[in-house]
Amino acid sequence: MITRRDTARLLAGTAATAALGRPAWAADKVVKVGADLSLTGADSENSIRIKNGIVMAIDEANKDHAVKGYTFELSTLDDGTATAGQYDPAQAATNARKMVSDQDIVAAVGPEMSGAGKAMAPILSQGDLATITPSSTNPDITSPKFAEQYRPAGKPIYFRTVTTDAFQGPNMANFMAEKLKIKSVYILDDSGAYGVGLADAYQGQIEKKGVKVLGRDRLDPKAADYTTVLTKIKALNPDALYYGGVGQAGTKLAKQAYDIVPAMIKAGGDGVYGATFLTGVGFPAAEGWYATIASPHLTDDSKAKTFVKEYTARWGFAPTDYAITAYDATLVIIDAVKRVAATGKPVERSAVRDAIQSAKVHTIQGVVSFDANGDLADRTVSVFQIKKDLNGKPDDVSAQYHYIEVAPQV
Amino acid sequence: MTLFDLLLQQTINGLSLGAMYSLLALGFTLVYGILELINFSHFNVFMVGSFIAMGVLQLFGLAGQDVILTGVPLVGVLLITFAVTMGASGLIGVTIERLSLRPLRGVKGPAAMITTIGVGYILFNIILLTCGADGKNFPNPMPTVRYHLGGATLDLRVIMIWIIALVLMGGLYLFVQKSRIGKAMRATAQDAEAARMMGVDVDRVIMTAFFLGSALAGAGGLIFGLYYNYTSFIIGFTAGLRAFTAAVLGGIGNVPGAMVGGVLIGLIEAFGGQFIATAWTDVIIFSILVLVLVFKPAGLFGQLAPTKS
Repeated sequence: MITRRDTARLLAGTAATAALGRPAWAADKVVKVGADLSLTGADSENSIRIKNGIVMAIDEANKDHAVKGYTFELSTLDDGTATAGQYDPAQAATNARKMVSDQDIVAAVGPEMSGAGKAMAPILSQGDLATITPSSTNPDITSPKFAEQYRPAGKPIYFRTVTTDAFQGPNMANFMAEKLKIKSVYILDDSGAYGVGLADAYQGQIEKKGVKVLGRDRLDPKAADYTTVLTKIKALNPDALYYGGVGQAGTKLAKQAYDIVPAMIKAGGDGVYGATFLTGVGFPAAEGWYATIASPHLTDDSKAKTFVKEYTARWGFAPTDYAITAYDATLVIIDAVKRVAATGKPVERSAVRDAIQSAKVHTIQGVVSFDANGDLADRTVSVFQIKKDLNGKPDDVSAQYHYIEVAPQV
Repeated sequence: MTLFDLLLQQTINGLSLGAMYSLLALGFTLVYGILELINFSHFNVFMVGSFIAMGVLQLFGLAGQDVILTGVPLVGVLLITFAVTMGASGLIGVTIERLSLRPLRGVKGPAAMITTIGVGYILFNIILLTCGADGKNFPNPMPTVRYHLGGATLDLRVIMIWIIALVLMGGLYLFVQKSRIGKAMRATAQDAEAARMMGVDVDRVIMTAFFLGSALAGAGGLIFGLYYNYTSFIIGFTAGLRAFTAAVLGGIGNVPGAMVGGVLIGLIEAFGGQFIATAWTDVIIFSILVLVLVFKPAGLFGQLAPTKS
């Protein structure tokens, strides 16, 4: 039985701990930045690299006292589960609710995956909590056509420091038609939200460029054998094969395509860009695959040199381009908090959201600003090709993916 | 590629898929024949078998497809890997039977079947949590040898699967037909009580059936890995669904039926994908299954069990 004395002791103890726990410079207000990432399962490698980018921005801001009187704290949540083996939209929704109910969180970075984003956006909208994603590219989430579904409260809350598949697909179509000069293509998707959207966007543009689409089919990510569809493709003999989708089907497709159609040009989106694709497929099967990302290529950029050096020194591996877009996203949030604090008004999420909407921040990828829907104003899509580099480790993305150029914009 | 070449190639594809499904369906149907139990954990033993095989090959220092062996070293490595994988998978099967199914023997209703579903999930999640969700590059020391039949390509690996599958299936058939334990197994399948009365050690028979079935599943896992250069925690799921369909199509409990069912499903998958679309494969396979069962409820070769009085 708990007596009143016990309760009094408990309360006193808690108060004392709270008082003692505060750092000496307790005059600083704590501002929390949430982060929802897919840290469990198939996408964890990329998520970890993204998280480190965010951590670097936060630590820098605290060290340099970027915003006087405020300390930043990162609150990370994982939307990956063991059952799904990758990101889990249900878990992402739960995380969104957690973030919304924590009043100290004024803005968030993430999610990594569009499937998580679709689940989180309506909840964040109701909570007026803005998030900036460094890697989610499905265009529906910010499209005015689906505004009722993804931002029911009206104002945009889903911002991006990458562009969308509305450009990733079509810009790659331009590249393949103009630079690779293909005359015919066969398109595959992996039945997922990202893959189907990307393949559809690619198909629309490639047809406009006068390239013949010899067929379109769908892969089951859980099936092991794609020889049937690859044999069909071999018989049709297109110049190229385009795959919209992520690694689960992509790795098997790449391995089997190497056996059946080794000479064909093969390309995919950012779903085939990453360490998991390299290790899952291996060489020589991965050799020659084209991949794109929905951002400028940053890790080799001179502006990113210091960042890359510090990042690699701290964690022992190099950052990915999306780690840099995550760092940039965090810089935008820090800048938004700074501007709100400067007005003297309380730093709370509506004000921060408005500040993010009107942001013009100098970051590693250039000046970041958003359009009326929350999409990044810059629409750069970068093209890479896998070419085996014996000097680099086989799963080192920066060694094995060779940067070609910016894809011709639509 | 001419139309003839294309048809030939898709037939080859269908037959290699069929070999895999037959092998899996066989072990599955064996247990059903004796216990009248649908053992859903079978397909996850197949998946675990492929991971065990991957581990053994990695112990040999093989990784990816960079190291190629031929002749005696290749045969030696493969024999040892098969032996270890089949043995380990067999042991897993026996453990499953001993711990989770023997206590339920004789219990009416779906309790035993549901237990096998649960065991299947346990195996699935253990592998997922310990080995991760990404697809693994399966070590393969076999050289890539391709034969050309006109415009169609026949990979050495397809021939390998078929030879191994036929050897294993033939071996199992001979064992069940000719050996003493085989006779005991057939007796138990017909009537367990009567067999016990005749002095058959029914416990031992069931254990043997599980060992053999699971060993076959493990062998299937190794073959899968060598064929696709790939494995992952989820391969039991789709392969399992198709192999289960093959077993039912052929007549569950019927060994030749499982082989025929497997080949049929493989060919349907190949030709359905070619002439309709891969996206519709599952719809096509299951529509055919439903049609067959409507007209022949016991499957193509099965006999409806006479109702026991």
